[in-house]
Amino acid sequence: MKSKWFSLVSILLVAIMLISACGATEEPAAEPTEAPAAEAEPTEAPAAEAEEVTLRVLVHQNPPLAEYMEQFNADFEAANPGVTVDLSTVTPGDMATVIQTRLSATDVDVIDYCAGSCSGFSNAVQPYMSGVDKPTWQQLIEANLLMDLTDEPFVQNFDEASIRDAGTFDGRVYAINVARVSYSGMFVNNDLLADVGVAIPTTWSELVSACETVVDSGLQCMTAGGGDGWPIFVGTYGLLGAVFPDQEGLVEGLWTGDTTWNEGKGLEVIEKDQVFAQEMLEPGVTSFSHDEAAVRYTAGDVAFLPTGVWQAPILEENAEFDWTYVPFPGSDDPADNQYLFGKYDMSWMIAADSPHADVAKAYLAALADPDNYQEFVDTTGYLPTQPTATLNSKLGQAVAPLLDTYQVGFEQYWVSPKGAGQWANGSQAASWFAPFNEWTDAKELADQIQADLEAGLAGE
Amino acid sequence: MTTKLNSFIGVFTGGDSASARSRRLKVVSYLILGSLAVFYIWPLIMLISTSLKPLTEYLKDPAGLPTAPTLANFAEAWELANFPQYLLNSAFYTVTATAIFIVSSLFVAFPIARDYFKGSNIILTLYVIALFLPPALIPQFQLILNLGLYNTRPGYILLFLINPIGMIIIVNYIKSIPRELDEAAAVDGASYLRYVLRIIFPLIRPAIATVTVLHAIGIWNEVILPTIYLTNADLYPITRGLIVFQGVYGNNWPGIAAAVLMLMLPLLILFMFLQRYIISGLTAGAVKG
Amino acid sequence: MRIMRKNYLFGSGGRWQRLTPLFLLLPGVLLYFLIALGPSIATSVYSFTDASGLKGAPVNWIGFDNYKEFLFQGLASRDNIAATLRTLQFSALVTVIQFTLGLIIAIILNQNLRGRTFFRTLFFIPVILGVVIQGLMWRLFLLPRGGPMATMFGWLGLQSEFLGGQPSEAFMWVIIVQIWANVGITMVIFLSGMQTISEELYEAARIDGASNWQLFRNVTWPQLTPAINTNFLLNIVGSLQAWQLFYVLIGWKPGSQVLGYLVFAEGFGGTDNPAFRQGFAAAASIVLFFMVLIIGAAANKVVSWREQRYM
Repeated sequence: MKSKWFSLVSILLVAIMLISACGATEEPAAEPTEAPAAEAEPTEAPAAEAEEVTLRVLVHQNPPLAEYMEQFNADFEAANPGVTVDLSTVTPGDMATVIQTRLSATDVDVIDYCAGSCSGFSNAVQPYMSGVDKPTWQQLIEANLLMDLTDEPFVQNFDEASIRDAGTFDGRVYAINVARVSYSGMFVNNDLLADVGVAIPTTWSELVSACETVVDSGLQCMTAGGGDGWPIFVGTYGLLGAVFPDQEGLVEGLWTGDTTWNEGKGLEVIEKDQVFAQEMLEPGVTSFSHDEAAVRYTAGDVAFLPTGVWQAPILEENAEFDWTYVPFPGSDDPADNQYLFGKYDMSWMIAADSPHADVAKAYLAALADPDNYQEFVDTTGYLPTQPTATLNSKLGQAVAPLLDTYQVGFEQYWVSPKGAGQWANGSQAASWFAPFNEWTDAKELADQIQADLEAGLAGE
Repeated sequence: MTTKLNSFIGVFTGGDSASARSRRLKVVSYLILGSLAVFYIWPLIMLISTSLKPLTEYLKDPAGLPTAPTLANFAEAWELANFPQYLLNSAFYTVTATAIFIVSSLFVAFPIARDYFKGSNIILTLYVIALFLPPALIPQFQLILNLGLYNTRPGYILLFLINPIGMIIIVNYIKSIPRELDEAAAVDGASYLRYVLRIIFPLIRPAIATVTVLHAIGIWNEVILPTIYLTNADLYPITRGLIVFQGVYGNNWPGIAAAVLMLMLPLLILFMFLQRYIISGLTAGAVKG
Repeated sequence: MRIMRKNYLFGSGGRWQRLTPLFLLLPGVLLYFLIALGPSIATSVYSFTDASGLKGAPVNWIGFDNYKEFLFQGLASRDNIAATLRTLQFSALVTVIQFTLGLIIAIILNQNLRGRTFFRTLFFIPVILGVVIQGLMWRLFLLPRGGPMATMFGWLGLQSEFLGGQPSEAFMWVIIVQIWANVGITMVIFLSGMQTISEELYEAARIDGASNWQLFRNVTWPQLTPAINTNFLLNIVGSLQAWQLFYVLIGWKPGSQVLGYLVFAEGFGGTDNPAFRQGFAAAASIVLFFMVLIIGAAANKVVSWREQRYM
């Protein structure tokens, strides 16, 4: 027994030495002598053999996307003998870090750029912004880590707006965006409204009175995923867009001081946010996570669900009433309430140093192929960025007429000045009113928001 | 009043005498344990009931008991998350790294605890400071990359060969072993190596068992490091496989719950097994007598 | 040159044999320097640069600019100072309660009670489950409508939004979950420490007529000194650095952040402007490190002082 201990310890000590020694030599696949598991496969096929290629693709975790990619990869491998697609998945939260490490290790060829809130190239540094950091994608480009795709034929498959707004920097194209989402509208329970005798509201006043009528009938006006926090203010993005249809202009105005949160239309937004948070949302929304709120909505006793179009599958599967998706009527002028705001979601990029540039481009070309792309849209439910593709779902039909005037939302453009306080981003104000946080007076909150913002602006 | 305080505390400091007073105080013990246990059992039940619900039912009613309990989530987790292969990887990393760590830290802890050489206190302070250290994800990554160990098993294991908490626990425990034992062994002509391995190591079993459990849990449950260091799917530990249950805006919690319940079984078994060593009464007499 | 002190008694052989402990110690210490200390020193160096961490991107020395930005720029200082105060509050409450509760449970479970294995395992289970599942369990437990805690509150006629409500209240609940999750570790360390206390010490003291409280104070407490010191240090440092429960339980809620969360957010993007800013993230984590260092060093001093008193 004791000598067994002794020999075991000696073996382990030797293993320690081995491992340290293994590190010093250039043997990436070496293993300690007592390893019982299978050998790790080499991560890269030698570049000299053009026949056997392992294309490394990095995507973010999204179940419908995973479903699509599995089929797509199988088809791609079948069409390109000798090519193996190695798909890795990470969460959007980890994506930025993993892109950084894998590029450093030259361990990735094709990247699905969906980091953090997945926003394409919208948050560039504008001329009126000073002292802010360059966004991650710009740093990648300037470090020459992304391949220039400007002259690739497949870029032309996508509509100009998406290429321009989501994939272009300094006149060159570095990413093809394949997905739009919208979050500025609300789902409407047509059957419930009919029962209560209310039409779909097209102005703010109509919405307020519709809510009152619904509540008087013993039903609920709106619900949201309050338990997760962010669904509360995302529900007001449409409100913001209705009051400030020029969202890019709003960002500029806030930076230059022409627009403030505690006066005029800015204050109007905060005040309406309060009505939304305290009077329209049903009591107890903090009980629901984002998905639970959508399921809650399908029970049929809530009139509106202000959230993003990505919730449509839950409704399609569970709702037994007739529903549609309309822009959130935040303004009293119906003309202002006709836009869909949103963001560009995932985009595809290629690592500049990839040893398999041709295969990578062929991969993107296959992704951009209109037939494959239509399949992609059908499986994932994204709003399409190719003019030839259509979203055939119930949601797609509801929003199709609005796609022509689709705009990128405020929070995609917004860059906080350095030194701004934690209350500076007024677009999140709805989640700061009681019971979700400590504020109870709209003007006071608006003043605080403006003060926090100006603290950052003044610093530069 | 003092007598009441005495008797209340009495149960905690004495052994178990056979008096009626002792029995009443055991009731107090059970009361305390019971009321605390409610807050452990109840959330656990909620976790288990989550794992037995299909996703849509969970979304409708997260807090309630399942109406039609199903094991589908467990089966799904086993398949989707690639349990068998990744489980082997997890086991390999955990066992190897923990074993190497325990042995290497034993030989670091003992000289430090005994203050055998001039620098021992400095080294201990360095370990204590290691507790405070900020996460150094990217520099550590660059180190491993430059060593040529990126995306390899040895490289990944290397990350877990240190554990300041474990070191401190072992050092402190060794300090409670009297030096007279060292002296007696030295007088008997024992060599350092033999003494540490055959006498000290068994005596500090409780600390070793504690550190083994804590260290193993840390490696087993680690999510971020495999994401960065192991990009080859053959090398994935099981935590990497769980990503299939995450969504963009919300997760498949029943799936995660089922997966984690399966995942924790080895650790649970390890803990229950090692409890005997954590609470081994062997040391008491031999050491202080 | 005499490296080994006189108290090293083993090895009657030559000089090399006397150095055996040193040789056996080297692998462990070298690993530590390589894997932990080295990268952390690199982090400190990074903090004085504008490094992005990207391959091929230029790195410039910018002195204390990162620190100035994190600590003093605009209203960042107000938020960061508030976060620091909150962190201290969090740490103090968690340490005191977790320590005491862990000690009580360990004492109770050190007896020969029936079912003690069950209870020990039960209290340790959260440690095995990990932060994400701890968050899930308590999110369910604290559901404002329909959750068990809400029901219990209802019996007392109270109502609350728990984690989704006022930042100060959400903060309090995170404290409770943090204690709940980690008291098992405290308990286990105390339990293992109690194994070194021999029964004879108690017998001798009882024969001398000591009361039970005196037994605890004069026998148990001093004999537990190493475990007490370990738990004290671990509790304080762990709670100062903790942020993951905040992340899973309440997310980014203004008015509730602690410093660890801020550091994580700056480094890995949890705020408005995600960017590769290794230098800045490093500076933020060094700030947290210094706070932990100051408090941890003080705690360590207390620990050494107690050691000298009792051992």
